[in-house]
Amino acid sequence: MTNNKIIEIKNAVKDYGQQRGIFGVSFDVYKGECFGFLGPNGAGKSTTIRLLMGFSKPDSGELLINGQEVMKNRDKIMENVSYLPGEIALPNLLTGKDFLNIQKNLKNVINDKFLNYLIDLFELDTSLICKEMSLGMKRKLAIVSCFMSDPDIIIMDEPSSGLDPEMQDVFVKLIKEEKKRGKTILMSSHIFSEIDSSADRIGVIKDGKIVSIFKASDLKHNQLKTYYVNFYDYNEYQDFKNFKDDAIKIINFDDKNKQIVLHIYDKDINKLTKILENYKISDFIESKETLEEYFMKFYKNDKKYQGL
Amino acid sequence: MNENKIKPCVIKINNITKDYKNNRGNFNISLNIYEHEVVGLVGENGAGKTTLLRQIMGFIKSDSGNIEIMGLDAYKNAAELKTYLSYVPGEINYPEISTGIEFLHNQAKLRDIKDFKVADDLINKLQLDIRAYPKRMSKGMKQKMAIVTALMANTPIILMDEPTTGLDPLMRIEFLNIILDEKKKGKTILISSNSVEELERVCDRVVLITKGKIVSVANISKIKNRKFRDYKIEFLNKDDYLNFKKLNYQIIRDQEIYNQLTLRIEKEKLEQLFKDLSSYELKFISEVKYDLNKYFKEERSL
Repeated sequence: MTNNKIIEIKNAVKDYGQQRGIFGVSFDVYKGECFGFLGPNGAGKSTTIRLLMGFSKPDSGELLINGQEVMKNRDKIMENVSYLPGEIALPNLLTGKDFLNIQKNLKNVINDKFLNYLIDLFELDTSLICKEMSLGMKRKLAIVSCFMSDPDIIIMDEPSSGLDPEMQDVFVKLIKEEKKRGKTILMSSHIFSEIDSSADRIGVIKDGKIVSIFKASDLKHNQLKTYYVNFYDYNEYQDFKNFKDDAIKIINFDDKNKQIVLHIYDKDINKLTKILENYKISDFIESKETLEEYFMKFYKNDKKYQGL
Repeated sequence: MNENKIKPCVIKINNITKDYKNNRGNFNISLNIYEHEVVGLVGENGAGKTTLLRQIMGFIKSDSGNIEIMGLDAYKNAAELKTYLSYVPGEINYPEISTGIEFLHNQAKLRDIKDFKVADDLINKLQLDIRAYPKRMSKGMKQKMAIVTALMANTPIILMDEPTTGLDPLMRIEFLNIILDEKKKGKTILISSNSVEELERVCDRVVLITKGKIVSVANISKIKNRKFRDYKIEFLNKDDYLNFKKLNYQIIRDQEIYNQLTLRIEKEKLEQLFKDLSSYELKFISEVKYDLNKYFKEERSL
């Protein structure tokens, strides 16, 4: 065992030509950790995950689970791994129950307790045939099927896309519980709030390369607030604009609307109320997008695309 | 809503029902969608959103009721209506053999599209590499293909079933901008989504469907121009918290154990609020957004 690294990806390359694929991706996932994997469409998230699952062979580099190369000892390693694909194809004419029963046999699930817990948790109606299920229902079925064998390692590709907000919350709750039970989780997602509330570390991939890996707790966005403050009076607005204080960081302003956008940490909030006391303000709005602003820089790109 | 009354009704849904049994399908849906209007559809997974869109497209026949699109019957005149309608399906299957370029050219031929300006513009906005085989594209790319395929026909009516599923956050924003552009061009648009935040940004009205029935219709401009603001405030100590409470602000949520409360205040009275707050030691102020989610929640608890 290499200390407590459960998943190790070392310099993995898979070149599909035309700049598609991944080019030297490296990161580790530790025991009991949830690693969030972010990146634009087509950046290489699914490719990385599929290499890790041993579905395709890297051109070079190493991918290890529990210290073993996934390609070499695949069947043995995968006994302990569950995978949720990004796109699901379910057998049209089977009911949810039939499908889960088949999965149960394949995965050697003897005890239904956890399975029933999951079905209740996601309010899954297993009596319908898959063909009649909506996208969200199929997604729920896939999630239940992924977790039911209670594996130690869970690898998921955009697990909650298509879930309604309530079910997304249920999903985040499940991830947190599973983490507490010592599970190791790798998941890709496009939903920042979901990654933020469940991941311990976050890796960002862009154009097939890892561009950033950081601890979720480093974001501290919860304590940093962005407020839009509007003023009635233009002179007061100007006065506030020229106000200098280290704690209150003016990041933007709009003369026409007499509006100032500022950043402030919660610990300094009393400075702000004491200053605003002296002004006539017409509106005070908080922007909830700090997390999004932070991530969005990784998504920007100015490539030209071929037309028809 | 008065302005809508003068605008012609483009899609008229008259009391339609499609019963799939076990409470699935939709039941007695009536809704008018007016010219140039962007309407959103929200509801839990399995609520009947896709069924409704498919009824409007004329893919399925309702058990009862009817849908008129520009005066024609959505089901009986489906073939004629094809020229006016574009559709982004919720689940997409592409043919095995063609590249994105070939696929789009075929679609263009089928729909008699000769001018590719709209398509090329969308391809660049959505950053789509059409040289790839759609069958092998990632989920997000497939979704982009479907959006380009639907919008390149430049039809007056556009229906979209969860069009942003699988799109990355930047592309979601780009998509919303595209919808706003289409709206400016005068299109009538119906979009289903799991994200009310998205719908709130582009829609004039949003319809909430629960268990196959319309339970609420929100007028977005009313929500955006709301006179009130809600703030959650936590105080550093109990005394400040208790003293502040004596000031008679409208408190809509009170969590004494945290010295925390949520108040609702008219924007005009904000000045007074900050004057009052300056005498207390706060831990934080956080605005509680009054958004579509909240609107539906409050509306439904009445």
